[in-house]
This record gives sequence, C-alpha cells and structure tokens, in this order.
Amino acid sequence: MSAVAAPSSVSTAPTARGVWRSGRGVLVVALLVLVTALAPVLLSSPGTAGRPLDPADPSLSGGKALAELLTRRGVSVERVESVAAMLAAARPDSQLLIGDTVAMTEDEAREIAASGRDRLIVGNAAHLGVLAPGVLADDDARSRSREPRCSLREAAGAGSAFIGGLSFTAPAGATGCYPADGRPTLVRYSPDGATVTVTGGGAFMTNLRLAEDGNAALALNLAGARPRLIWLAAPEKPGPGAAGPSGTSLGDLIPDAVPWAILQLAVAVVVVALWRGRRLGPVVAERLPVVVRASETVEGRGRLYRARRARDRAAQALRAAAIDRLAPRLGLPPTAAAEEVVAAAAVRTGREAAEVRSALYGPVPADDAALVALAAQLDTLERQVRDS
Amino acid sequence: MALTGRAGLLAALGTLVVLVAPDPAMAVLGVALLLAALVLFDLLFAGGVRDLRLHRDGERLVRLGESVTVGLVVENPGRRRVRGVVRDAWPPSAGAAPRRLRLDVPAGQRRRLVTTLTPTRRGDREAVSVTVRSLGPLGLAARQGSHLVPWSVRVLPPFLSRKHLPAKLARLRELDGRHPALVRGQGTEFDSLREYVVGDDVRSIDWRASARRSDVVVRTWRPERDRRVLIVLDTGRTSAGRVGVAPHPGEPSGWPRLDWSMDAALLLAALASRAGDRVDFLAHDRTVRAWLSGASRNDLLSSLVNAMAPIEAELVEADGPGMVAAVLARAKRRCLVVLLTDLNAAAMEEGLLPVLPRLSSRHTVLVAAVADPRVAAMASGRGTAELVYDAAAAERLRGERRRITARLRGQGVEVVDAPPEGLAPALADAYLALKAAGRL
Repeated sequence: MSAVAAPSSVSTAPTARGVWRSGRGVLVVALLVLVTALAPVLLSSPGTAGRPLDPADPSLSGGKALAELLTRRGVSVERVESVAAMLAAARPDSQLLIGDTVAMTEDEAREIAASGRDRLIVGNAAHLGVLAPGVLADDDARSRSREPRCSLREAAGAGSAFIGGLSFTAPAGATGCYPADGRPTLVRYSPDGATVTVTGGGAFMTNLRLAEDGNAALALNLAGARPRLIWLAAPEKPGPGAAGPSGTSLGDLIPDAVPWAILQLAVAVVVVALWRGRRLGPVVAERLPVVVRASETVEGRGRLYRARRARDRAAQALRAAAIDRLAPRLGLPPTAAAEEVVAAAAVRTGREAAEVRSALYGPVPADDAALVALAAQLDTLERQVRDS
Repeated sequence: MALTGRAGLLAALGTLVVLVAPDPAMAVLGVALLLAALVLFDLLFAGGVRDLRLHRDGERLVRLGESVTVGLVVENPGRRRVRGVVRDAWPPSAGAAPRRLRLDVPAGQRRRLVTTLTPTRRGDREAVSVTVRSLGPLGLAARQGSHLVPWSVRVLPPFLSRKHLPAKLARLRELDGRHPALVRGQGTEFDSLREYVVGDDVRSIDWRASARRSDVVVRTWRPERDRRVLIVLDTGRTSAGRVGVAPHPGEPSGWPRLDWSMDAALLLAALASRAGDRVDFLAHDRTVRAWLSGASRNDLLSSLVNAMAPIEAELVEADGPGMVAAVLARAKRRCLVVLLTDLNAAAMEEGLLPVLPRLSSRHTVLVAAVADPRVAAMASGRGTAELVYDAAAAERLRGERRRITARLRGQGVEVVDAPPEGLAPALADAYLALKAAGRL
C-alpha cells in the first residue's frame, strides 16, 4: 500500500458557521437563564432587605409607619445612625429610642446613661445593664398578644399588645407590665431623674403589627411621650467590620488595589482552566470484549456451599471424584459397586474395610472440621492406592 | 482554538501589574485587553489547520504481541509555518505511542510523523482522527482542528504454539517413513516394495514378492494423504470465558478460551497442511462467522490468521444443531471434523450432544476443549473449610466434564481436554495418532 494510494484526509475542524449553528441553542438557553436569574433582583426595590425598627424602612419589619404616625401627632422624629449624633441631637425635651439592632461600645452606652435623657430601649439591646441599670434580662418569652395587667397609664390605655421577646427582673420601684409567666416584658422606672422604658421586643412597633390590638396606641404612647424623638437606627450601609482601637478596621488597612488584584487572579484562573480544559482531539470510545473468568461459576458454587454449609453436597462431590480416580487404579470399571471398590481398596492398602468404607461411602460430616478431615482422609487413601 | 500555559502565566503576572498600578481598575481592564489582543494576534498568525493534507503509510498487519509503525505524512500547502502538537488518536487497545507528537512543517513542505502501535487485543483497529494544534508566533494561543485519515491495522492471532511445530513435524516424518531412523512408515496406505535391510520389521516382509525374486522384499507403507480436515470453532458464550495466563501484559484476568482454541487450530492446520491434507475452517455460534475453504498449502496459514483475526466471542448460546447442519452442508466427503468448544455440561447436553451422532456417523469427530487450570488448583485446595468447599465445587465441575467426555467417547468421538498451554500439542498428537491409525 503506497502513500499516494492512501485516501486523503478530510478535515473535521469546525468552521465559524458550524460553531455558530451548534452553539446558538446553548447561547439562547444561557441568556434565558441569566435573564430569569437577574430579573427579580433588578425589578425589586433595594429597600426590601428589611432593617428592623428603622424609621426609614417601609418593609414589614421596619418602623416607618410608626414614624409617620408620630410626625402627624406633632412629634418630631429624628433618625440618627451613631451614638455621637444622637447625643449631639438630644435636648431636654427629647426621648431616645434605642433598638437591639444597633451596635455600640460600652463607653458609648455609659455616655447615653450619663446624659440623663429619657430613653426607650427596645429588645435585647447591647449593654442593657448600663443603659438601664438594675433591669436584668431574665428569660426568653414568646411574642404574642398579652394583657397589660398594670397601672402604667400608657399600657393600661392601650390595652392588649403584641409583645414578648424578653422578660425582665425589674428593680425596686419600677412598674412592670405585660407579664409573661409572672415576669414583665415591659418595665418603666426612673433612675436618677430620667424616665427609662425597657420592652422585651419591638414586634408591636413594626409596620406588620402596628394595626393589630393596641399595638399602635402602646407604641405612640411610649415613643410619643416627649415632643422630640431621637431614633437610633442601624446604619443603612453596614461599616466594614469592627474598628480597632486606632479607629481603623481591617478593610481600611487593605490597599485599594488588592480586590482588583484578586479579580485579576480570578481571570488568570479562568485562563489556566481554559488551557488545561481544552482536549487535544476527541475522547476515543472502544467496544471492549467481556472480561469474565471462566472459573467464576465454580468460585460462585464454592461460595454457595460455604454460605449454606452444604457439607452433604461437598462431601458427595469429593467422594465421587476420589472414587472416579481410584476405580481405574484398582482395575475396576467406572460402574463398579460400592462394596467392590471398598474391598479392592482395603486389600490394596491393607487397611480395615470399615475404615475405607467410612471414608468413601460414610455419613455426611457433622461439622466443617469433619469435612476438612474427610478431604485429608480421601487424599491419604488415594496416595496409598497410588503408591502401593 | 486553544490557549497555552503562557497565556495563563501572563494573566497571573498581570496581578503584579494591578497591585503596583496607580489605578487598579484601569489596570485590570488594560491587562485583559492586552491579553485578548495578543491571543487574537496569535490566532490570526498561527498556521492554518484546516488546509493541511494528511495521509498515512506503513503496515496493515501485525501479530498480537508485536509492534508496528504507522507513518503520518503532514503536508502544509498554506503560506505559514505550522508548529505545534499532533495527536494521532487510536482506540486504547491499539496501544499507540507516543500520545502526542511534535510537529513543525514550514510552508509548502511535508513532514512524516511515526506512531508505534503495540496492540493488546486481536482484531481490526481503525484510526480515529488526527488532531493538530497549531501554535501562534507568541505561543499564547493555538488553532486546533481534526482530520479524518482512515487507516486500519489488523491484529492477527500470535500463533504461540508454532514452537511445537518442529517436534510435531519430526513425528510426522517418522510416520511417513522418511525419517533418517530406520523405521518403517507407520501409515496404512501401501507405498512400494523395497529390499530388506537389517533392522526392518520381519512382519513387513512380503513373502510372495520375495518368492518371485531371489531377494527378501519388504512392503513399505505411508500415511494417507489428501484427506480433509475441517476445523470448527465455537464462538458462542462459552468461548468468552478467560482461562490461564495471557501471553502478553494488559489482560490480567487471562486469555479467552477462543484465543487458546485459535492457537491450537493454527498448529493443527500447519501440521495437517504439511502432511498433505486439505484444511478448511468454520467459525460458528448462531450463524457462520467465518468460512475458509480451498486455500492452497502455501497461503493456508496467512488466510487462516486473516479469517480468525476479527472473530470475537459472541455472548449468545451456540446453536449446536445449526453448527452440525453447517458442517454437513460444507463437508460433502468424509473428513476429520475438529470441534473446538467447551465441555460445559449444560451447553453440551442441550446443544451438541443430541445432534453429534448425525455428524459422527459420516465423519470422524474430534472434540477439543480448554480445561481451566484455576479449577484444577481449586480442586487441590485443602486445610481450611473454605478451601475444601471450593475444592468440592471444582471437583463437581470436573466430574461433569468427565461424564460428558465419557458420553462423547461412547458415541465414538475423540476428546482432547487439556490446559490452555497444553491444548495445541495435545490436539496435534491426537491428529497424528488418528493419522497413524489410518482413521482419517
């Protein structure tokens, strides 16, 4: 066969048109998936994330409804995002509202306590022991509709409210309302001149619950006690981690170029993946022959004998094989009767006929050890016949 | 297209540039654009793959266990040099090496690449495709494409038993009377009369001829010639079982019965054709897989290995009556039918045993089977209960084989049951014995 006569090659490299034809279906599907994934994100407003007890948040967990109601009632609501701003805005006719979503240091809590302003503390706020000295958070209480059961004007006037979260141990001289298992979830007292109100949870103040029970009345009574309300809310954009003693966080210490460098590394990883992932030619499939050992059926039968302890069949097979080999050596036809074989073997080996009979035609071995012994006996008998 | 490690390295080095650049965002964009531009440049100036012309030369036949080279000529009619790697893809069992070849063809020239095939299995191996990856001048990106360059290599049975052939031929010459030793030809066909020499068997003296002449004359005999031998290979499910140790690495669980049978068949065919007999070959399971008839003495072996090479064991029960009918339809005159199958009790009792008398009444039948040395090893297991149970199972199988053998012999069928390596010489001996006895 000369090289010239060999059939010439046919290129199967894809053309640009072929790539477009085969790839456009995939492209359309990928685009559809992308659009479906991005559409809800793009269509929804950014505020739906929910910032609990934020006067600017219109979502179900926010507090915008309460802030609106307070404004209509003539209470000026001022939203602040830091303790420093709150203390700067506080005047003698102001009440501070501190929720449990706000992070503050112990020093800041002390400053608030030292300012002597009225304050409404909602939920398990940070440094509760500093903000409301003497009030001890006691136990978790389920948020549900509860009766006031106290003489506090604001509570008694509002009636039942959806409250819970924490129950407290109130200090001496304090008024406790809305008890859960005998412990109040709302405590009002006046340490060193300021009126301090602590509620176990802020659920009754949220946009979701405000219209139920006496929630709105209770919230307005508590939050609208003073003409000005300084409402401390969590910052809309959370800061980059906790700041260290020098006022700089880990994020501040990382150079601006690092995130971009990480992006560049990601690009490099993609390029390397494309390099390693491209196969040089197709995967070659081959019709392989079946690989099965011919002895598998025998091995399987042996395992079955073993699993079922089939000593009867095993002994029968061993004895039949031994007799088949012995008969020609003893000069007997394969069809010889048992007694003939036994007599001939006994004569040839000089052993007792009963002994030979029990080996060749004896009972089924009682246990595995007897079977092993039987195999050894048959071997000995065969060897004696062969050597005699 | 394909990217290279250099492109990845360049992208990784871009990280350093981004770290020190005054405007990292612009640096990321700049590095990406630069990389894209360089890759595009490389793709544009890489040698074309589609226009390459490839053709093959080299060997078409190889014996299993040996190596063969196949050349691949790459002709570059384009205007640019094609530099890169080539993968000449073959099925795994073709044992092609190396996996990838370096290629550097200047424009308008051609280069020859060589792939070495060391097949691990019998049969036809077709080349799959040739993939060329042509690098650009910068080595950042490459064009890649495949070509179909058809070629096939037929892997023949290895005929391992040919080492037994000289001894068997010597034995044949003894039968023939042509052996240097002063022995009478043991054949049964009268050949000629010659003068008595000391050492001749006195029983072969022809007294009538001696009386006519004043000298003592002996008759010489020679074996029959121009008899027919039909080798029938059973390719049904029992021939797929693996037995013994494969003669080459790559098949840890042994070699199929089929391959051992082929080996024995090849020795028998070689011997029979030297003995002056005509050899035909039939492979059958449910249909005829191969049929070789009337091959001349000189090209019998090559025709036979060619016919055997593509035969695979089929996972179907062999059709005994169909096989006998196929043999009867093809063997008009009396011949020796050598049936290479397995003495599997279930398969034999339902398939061949009931119909063999139809065959043995017209022809001499010889059944040859590969015994499993693993079964023999299991049968001698002693000491623990597990080994003894295995030994009992092995003895049971051997008992069944003995029973089948006895029944076959009772029908006048010769039986050869030998371990894999011993089957070919045992079958050759059985043939020689039949020939000496004049039973062909």
